[in-house]
Amino acid sequence: MIAKVTLTVNGAARTVEAPPLTRLLDALRGPLGLTGAKEGCGEGECGSCAVLLDGVPVNACLVALGQCEGREVVTVEGLGEPRHLAPLQACMAEHGGAQCGICTPGMLIAAESLLRSNAQPSAVEVRRAIAGNLCRCTGYDRIVASVLAAAEALRATRGASVSAGAPVRGAAE
Amino acid sequence: MSVVDLPRYPFARAGSLGELCSLVHERCASGERTVLLAGGTDFMAEVSQSPRRDGPLPLVVDISRLPELGAIEWDGRTLRLGAGATYRELAEHHAVREHAPLIARMTSDIGGPTIQARGTLGGNLATASPAADGVAALAAYEPTVVLASVRGERKVRMADFHTGYKRTSRADDEIITAIEVAPPPPGSPWHWRKVGTRQAQAIAKVALGAVAALDGTRITRLGLGMASVGPTTALLPKTRALLVDGSPRDVDLAQLDAAVAADISPIDDIRSTGAYRLHVAKALVRELVRSLANL
Repeated sequence: MIAKVTLTVNGAARTVEAPPLTRLLDALRGPLGLTGAKEGCGEGECGSCAVLLDGVPVNACLVALGQCEGREVVTVEGLGEPRHLAPLQACMAEHGGAQCGICTPGMLIAAESLLRSNAQPSAVEVRRAIAGNLCRCTGYDRIVASVLAAAEALRATRGASVSAGAPVRGAAE
Repeated sequence: MSVVDLPRYPFARAGSLGELCSLVHERCASGERTVLLAGGTDFMAEVSQSPRRDGPLPLVVDISRLPELGAIEWDGRTLRLGAGATYRELAEHHAVREHAPLIARMTSDIGGPTIQARGTLGGNLATASPAADGVAALAAYEPTVVLASVRGERKVRMADFHTGYKRTSRADDEIITAIEVAPPPPGSPWHWRKVGTRQAQAIAKVALGAVAALDGTRITRLGLGMASVGPTTALLPKTRALLVDGSPRDVDLAQLDAAVAADISPIDDIRSTGAYRLHVAKALVRELVRSLANL
């Protein structure tokens, strides 16, 4: 069974033809060409595949493509661009929040979700926001520091959105 | 892993509850299986991790955006929680926070934010795992499960809903549409404690939810729900009988421990041992009684 699913990915309308129970993660990494979201555990435990679905962080390994008709997905590629990183991405690099990189896309999505609703989070609030994202390299301290630094940078620029300055666009375009 | 199975499943999206009831009923009548897919936190993980299956696969029907299942309503006496409302939606809803604060609080202990954004009470009730935090907390409100089918609506007390390990009294063609809670007055005491290996992304070794009402020092209402200590969410009837109509300050702790032990049947499994669970269950009930005594 093949379904034709139209959804918005990183601000652009995209159509995917695939079996409807294809995991959103596989649709993103395959036909949509967005390999930012990673498969860690494949059962909703690790958060490496986190994306925003209608603005809410979800595990893309637990969402069926057929459930995404008409919905809006933002992946880590939608947060910034290699030559124009979002403050969150830049801070993650500067503060050592990214090491092996497997958890980083999910961490960035979880942090993006937090900063959209809380411009001045405490360290505890950051830890709660990334509670569903496992990292086996950093011990989390540097990730928390990165998110707090990004929050501060964003407040300083008084940007209207967390991804201020970074055009939101699909990387496959 | 058998992610390969997922693309083989037939899939449909329900447009309305009426349409869904007809579809599920017709398939039941012809002996065909149907899976209702809400947040996918159980189903998608289970299929991905299971060996490849032979033979006909059930039809998967997406109910995640069915409007009839998503509403949360307070009518002044009853809080009606849509079975398809996500834990995140429950936690953020003003009526849940005011009238069922235990449910709002418990949600932050379920998995992590990404699981809370997808998981639903309806899904946890249907899966009927005794380890579900959401069901333990819900049970403390002594709620009613609302079921819909082509025959109309049927309401089942929570105490009669779960009949065994992952078994319920729901007929195959019935759909869980909502859960109705008649809460005690705002400000009534409630208690939640989950014991797991970590604060997040850990299924409970034991969890206890409790909702009470007191007249002076006398306990006039007490609902209990305990996770992971038996084949179904434990409602602890003997413990409850010992405490209701008495004062939490006059409880005989040896009797209390004995009542808890008689109410549960914890086992050794991947997450804990029966002996540890029994110890923790007694400690959690003692903690509840202490907190009620100190009000």
